Amino acid sequence: MSSKHYKDDRKLAFERMVRPHLDRLYRLAWRLAGRKAEAEDLFQELLIKAYGKLDDLARLDEPGSWLARVMYNLFIDERRRFARRRLHTVEEGEMNGEGLADMPGNEDPLRDNERREQILALDAALSQLSDEHRVVVLLHDTEGYKLQEIHELTGVPVGTIKSRLHRARARLRDILTQSGTFP
Amino acid sequence: MQTEDTNQQEQALQALLEDYPVPEATEAFYDQALARATHEGARRQRNRWVMTGFGSAVAAGIALWFIGGFFMTTPDLPVAEPGIPGITMTLEEPRTINLVFASATALDSANLTVTLPDGIELAGFPGQREITWQTSLNEGKNLLPLELIAVSPVGGEVLARLEHNDRNRTFRLRIEVT
Repeated sequence: MSSKHYKDDRKLAFERMVRPHLDRLYRLAWRLAGRKAEAEDLFQELLIKAYGKLDDLARLDEPGSWLARVMYNLFIDERRRFARRRLHTVEEGEMNGEGLADMPGNEDPLRDNERREQILALDAALSQLSDEHRVVVLLHDTEGYKLQEIHELTGVPVGTIKSRLHRARARLRDILTQSGTFP
Repeated sequence: MQTEDTNQQEQALQALLEDYPVPEATEAFYDQALARATHEGARRQRNRWVMTGFGSAVAAGIALWFIGGFFMTTPDLPVAEPGIPGITMTLEEPRTINLVFASATALDSANLTVTLPDGIELAGFPGQREITWQTSLNEGKNLLPLELIAVSPVGGEVLARLEHNDRNRTFRLRIEVT
């Protein structure tokens, strides 16, 4: 087989393996990073890394779970790198409703507007949580991951995840109450 | 009563979280991301093999001391062109450059922008020519390690621009690649 055919075959095999998981991974990237630029960088970096591990990937029964774990580790590594530098990206902690423009509405404009305001308030509240709390609450309550799945993704014990989830929800309720979103 | 309120808030929070949207990517975005991954992934694999052949991929660290009393001096001082420090890098070999900024006082919300020439990349930011951070400076010396990789033999100038309010200072580093 020629070198070109070999490369083309690898590309095709890679696409066949990862494409079914792209939607879920893209959502995960958003939930982890919270902003478009960071989410897309994380998503891209995952795919680059995965292509380098194509032979390993091909042997896996559940490549989706493996890809999600690699993405989470990339996210954590990046955060640690910045923490060590005591430098932060300009966008960090400032979600400010990015990504909410396409929020679906129902047929009642008043209700739509009220809901939009509430979602924006939630967005701002989430930006005040630590990464550990924000990620757990988004994965569990928004994306529907089970506690065991979050454990497999993050390596954090289930008991700790439960505790973080509880604290994250309580903090969100506090913030939303203080902002007047909740009575 | 308090428990009832908490339960209502909990339910309202759950409903909000369930509605919290995330944008959908287009198929074109996925196609582009996959194409980049296969191109960049193959390049990195090649580089790994090359590095293994040389026996070591350990980055060499050097410190370039830019202790100019950044905020002690008059803002917007022109940078003296003849004094530009320079280093030589080896193609595809990561090298850590430590930039040191000295500040007379602690500063919040300073912006640091690193601008890279074509062919020089900052590790972790492949393909990006300009990277900006917002950062805080302590009183005294502040060290910023930058891991650079030369991906082409062209070289050029790396600029690190530090801004706070209306004051700024640009540091330059000339890079030659062998």
